[in-house]
Amino acid sequence: MTTPILEAKELTQKFGGLTAVDNVSLHVGVDELVALIGPNGAGKTTLFNMLTGVNAPTEGDVYLAGEKITGKKAYAVAQMGISRTFQNIRLFSDMTVLENVLTALTNHYKESFVSSVLRLPSYYKTEDAMKEEAMKLLNDFGLASVAENRAGNLPYGAQRRVEIVRALATRPKVIFLDEPAAGMNPEETADLTRLIKKIQSEYHTAVLLIEHDMSLVMNIAERIYVLDHGHLLAEGTPKEIQDNPEVIKAYLGGDADADA
Amino acid sequence: MKANLKSNLSWLLLMVVGFVLINFLVVIGVIDSFTENMLVTIGINIILAVGLNLVIGFSGQFSLGHAGFMAIGAYATGIMTLGGFDSFGGWIVSVLVGMAIAAVVAIIVGIPCFRLSGDYLAIATMGAAEIVRIVLNNMKITNGPAGLFNIPQYTTWPLVYVLTCLTTIVTVNFIHSRGGRAVMSVRDNEIAAEAMGINTTRWKLAAFVLGAVTAAIAGSLSASYIQTIAPSNYGIMQSVSILIIVVLGGMGSMTGTFVAAVVLGILDTVLQSFGVLRMVIYAIVLILMMVFKPSGLMGTNELSFARIFNYKKADKGEAKA
Amino acid sequence: MSTFLQQLINGLSLGSIYALLALGYTMVYGIIKLLNFAHGDVYMLGAFFGYYTIKCLHFGFFGALISSMVFCALAGVLVEIIAYKPLLNSPRITMLITAIGVSYFLENGMTYLFTANTRNFPQVIKRVSYDLGPVQVSNVQLLIFITTIILLILLQVIVQKTKMGRAMRAMAVDPDAAALMGINVSGTIAFTFAIGSALAGAAGVLIGMYYNSIDPMMGLTPGIKAFVAAVLGGIGSIPGAAIGGIVIGFLETMFQSIGLSAYKDAAVYAVLIIILLVLPSGLFGKRTIEKV
Repeated sequence: MTTPILEAKELTQKFGGLTAVDNVSLHVGVDELVALIGPNGAGKTTLFNMLTGVNAPTEGDVYLAGEKITGKKAYAVAQMGISRTFQNIRLFSDMTVLENVLTALTNHYKESFVSSVLRLPSYYKTEDAMKEEAMKLLNDFGLASVAENRAGNLPYGAQRRVEIVRALATRPKVIFLDEPAAGMNPEETADLTRLIKKIQSEYHTAVLLIEHDMSLVMNIAERIYVLDHGHLLAEGTPKEIQDNPEVIKAYLGGDADADA
Repeated sequence: MKANLKSNLSWLLLMVVGFVLINFLVVIGVIDSFTENMLVTIGINIILAVGLNLVIGFSGQFSLGHAGFMAIGAYATGIMTLGGFDSFGGWIVSVLVGMAIAAVVAIIVGIPCFRLSGDYLAIATMGAAEIVRIVLNNMKITNGPAGLFNIPQYTTWPLVYVLTCLTTIVTVNFIHSRGGRAVMSVRDNEIAAEAMGINTTRWKLAAFVLGAVTAAIAGSLSASYIQTIAPSNYGIMQSVSILIIVVLGGMGSMTGTFVAAVVLGILDTVLQSFGVLRMVIYAIVLILMMVFKPSGLMGTNELSFARIFNYKKADKGEAKA
Repeated sequence: MSTFLQQLINGLSLGSIYALLALGYTMVYGIIKLLNFAHGDVYMLGAFFGYYTIKCLHFGFFGALISSMVFCALAGVLVEIIAYKPLLNSPRITMLITAIGVSYFLENGMTYLFTANTRNFPQVIKRVSYDLGPVQVSNVQLLIFITTIILLILLQVIVQKTKMGRAMRAMAVDPDAAALMGINVSGTIAFTFAIGSALAGAAGVLIGMYYNSIDPMMGLTPGIKAFVAAVLGGIGSIPGAAIGGIVIGFLETMFQSIGLSAYKDAAVYAVLIIILLVLPSGLFGKRTIEKV
């Protein structure tokens, strides 16, 4: 196997006396679609936050395409190629859908202050190039018709899609989706399934997915990590995870402290 | 881009027409020195409020220290034009110096303070502006609390008009560029902006510095118009009165800022004859405005030629169909 | 050393006044997240009311103090009902501008009615200084400490032990949940304004006694200082406001005593900024971290 695009080594996160994530290692291969599952409070979002630079891990390191990114600020990590969506949608809600996507493109285009305030030809050139790239993405995901709408006014499902498109616009190496199917009906979830597959196949971007919807996870994930009480409980293909007795126990109850 | 050009040209035309109209009224004597004074004050207030609106309405950072930057510009001009730079060229140099100092101070204040947010940021910026004022109050070169007087008068209404247009064009063009979108994304959702690779501190600082620089220009203009400056003119109340224009016009609406600055300027002039009652009436109007129109005159909407053209286009489209 | 101790005493009395004012800022902020810009002017109203009760009604010190507290409580509630209540669900900056409007209104209304002249506060208590070894304490200073301490204890009892106090604390944590639990929201807000304004009224009478002069603009600067004190202590925290007030009082008198009185306000703001950078929510404020 080639070097993984994302690798986390022995990550631990402590909040005061509480160990939210304990010694977790994981890796995501190039173009791989990996899911991270676990009961509520298992530490999934904490792990996400460590990987994306929102919080620095107490111990352990994160590597992106072989380069160490531990301790880097969230925006620097994003510039290096990790993009994400949020569990509770975080769009730039007073801006239009197009502007949301354009904002994500900020670091891929250079436009000097002088040329933009003086409206030099180079300003129009970059603006047009940015708009073209953004519209292509929006077109690809069926959002072109709402490009000029205020993002906060869109229906819930469309907002989720805009968030994913916006994350893709940063041209990431790996994209993190934090419970993208939350609050969606089966039809919307089916739509989302196609969309995630498309990210992987057409945009050649690795995906790390946190999700509670098991049918979605089992359907699209190539590999699954199971997190419980901050520990890595299991790792394997969907089939292996479904048959793993410990996973079944964690999900269906039983002694909660068995692995503590 | 074509529609864009059309709306840009319309704005330019409006600016030229405004200039010609005022000039005509001055020549035929409708605008006397009293009204001219009002126009200059309104122009200076527009420059100040446009800059503050960029900081508060667009980058979402609550600054209560705008008067501090105005003071820097005013003192740069006052000290330099009184001390040898007594020509229009010297005045321009003094404006540039004021802008540069304001930018440096904004960076020094902004880097640590933008770790704070909301009311805490407001208080920290207010404190920083007060420190600037107290320093001016105690320096020899600024002549302490007495301030400077007999500053040469270079500010005229055409100069204010031109600079008001220029600073507004620069600010609005910035907002409609890559940087402006980055700034607004910080306002809308700071965490998401970071996750999209936006260096939030850097963009907050960019907006803050641009606001500070325009405030310095306004300070230079006013110092060279009223010819007398003292540190007490640049206290918290001055910052607050700029804030009032921004909120009254609608945070995030530049045209709203224009409307509010004009309305307040006229109100202020009309009430001049009421003496102390003037401020009482002003206060009541302010409270009533806020109670009945909390989002300001314009909310976040803009008056825009582009929109008018688009309406027309849509009408035509419908007519064909 | 003795001047240092003396300044400590002076700082403590000035700080007590700031503390009383800062409490009003902090309580109102804690409950509706409003920087009540007009609070300093309520303190001015208190001083004026005290002035007239003593001068025209020949009240004694305590009569003036209590009646001025009652008057300010009523004035504070009136302001809340007229100017802030309609805006409870608007953006916070709108309420802030309204508060500034109220502040302008009170300052200029009072100037209009009573002129801008400074007037001498009648000295109902004959000023006596006691020599305590190296330092001197006046009876007015003692009165300020003691009144402040009694009011602080009373406030603590109200907030911690009464039903209304519990409602205030609940609303400070989560106003929506508090409303769902059957707490009378508008009553609690009005009560908070009443308590805060009463404390400002007391501070007004005390400052009149201490500085001996009052005018319609007297609330502006101490208002801002007290507000800084509230932020310093951690806005929303009652002990924080009290300690913040005293810290600011000390700082000011210390800078005065080392001959830098021109820079005393600059020192206050510099300390404020430094503390906020180290402790972004002030000395006793609760840090809220936005969850991702």
